[in-house]
Amino acid sequence: MLTDEQLVEATLDGSDAAFSELVERYQDRLLRFLMTRAASRADAEDAIQDTFISAYRYLASFDSRWRFSTWIYRIAIRNAARQRRPEWHDSDVELVDEADPLSACIAHSERENVWVAAKRLLNNDAYDAMWLRYVEDLSVKEISSALDKSPSWTKVTLMRGRRRLSTELAATPESAARRESYG
Amino acid sequence: MDDFEKRLKRDADAIEAEVTPQLRARIDASLQGIEPVRQVHKASPPVNLWWASSLTGLAAAVLVIVLINWNQPGVNVTPDETIADSRPKAELPTVPEVAANEPPMLDIRTADFTSPLEQELQNLQSDIEKARESVRKDLDFTF
Repeated sequence: MLTDEQLVEATLDGSDAAFSELVERYQDRLLRFLMTRAASRADAEDAIQDTFISAYRYLASFDSRWRFSTWIYRIAIRNAARQRRPEWHDSDVELVDEADPLSACIAHSERENVWVAAKRLLNNDAYDAMWLRYVEDLSVKEISSALDKSPSWTKVTLMRGRRRLSTELAATPESAARRESYG
Repeated sequence: MDDFEKRLKRDADAIEAEVTPQLRARIDASLQGIEPVRQVHKASPPVNLWWASSLTGLAAAVLVIVLINWNQPGVNVTPDETIADSRPKAELPTVPEVAANEPPMLDIRTADFTSPLEQELQNLQSDIEKARESVRKDLDFTF
């Protein structure tokens, strides 16, 4: 099985099938991430399409010292930021839960999905850093590169984000009940 | 991986977001019309330009040397005929006259500089001779 970087080289040598394989590997992961960031599923789909187009067009500029996932997430984050519509948040109209693609694609559960809480509590940069660290298993250095931030900023942001979420989760009724059951 | 990290991972997996065949077809179709941008290497300057810049530099260096020599006093950069024509020929001293009239300043200055050194050399040789004599006497006393 070829690595991502080998597929990149094959694509640069003219193999469209190699890039199609890269799309296959990353499409669900990227869409899941973009669904948590975009205002709607349509925006997430536009963002993922733009991400693959940009990746294909500028594949020659990919630096093989980095992992391909770092590079493509960097593109995806930029596209997600471009897709955002800040005027929605500035308006007095509150979005109903059904409009949030993240809530819509999470199976009904008694407890809140931690990423819904993260989206509510953290800013976009901190949310992205948390996602890349704990879902994509990227290193601090790779996250710094993907977010175009310093490693120090990344470490501090991860630590604060984790503490904020832990505090929030510890305060939920479910956690309190579990603590009581443990006695 | 602690419980918190496991929960983050598990909840991320719980987000159902799969690319539909329609979306995949849309992505593939959009990639069809895209031409990848090739890496643009910085082109090296053409050989002619290199020669031109080298020759320009050389010409500038020669010009600077000429200008410096032109402005130095007592250095004649004009053709000899020009000076000869501007002065009466009778006033021009001949080479033997110059050699006879002008004192050999270089030799005098050389003698001035070297005479103390020669005296110093003689003193050193005298000291060496005295030291050698002293050593010889010591050896005679020892053996």
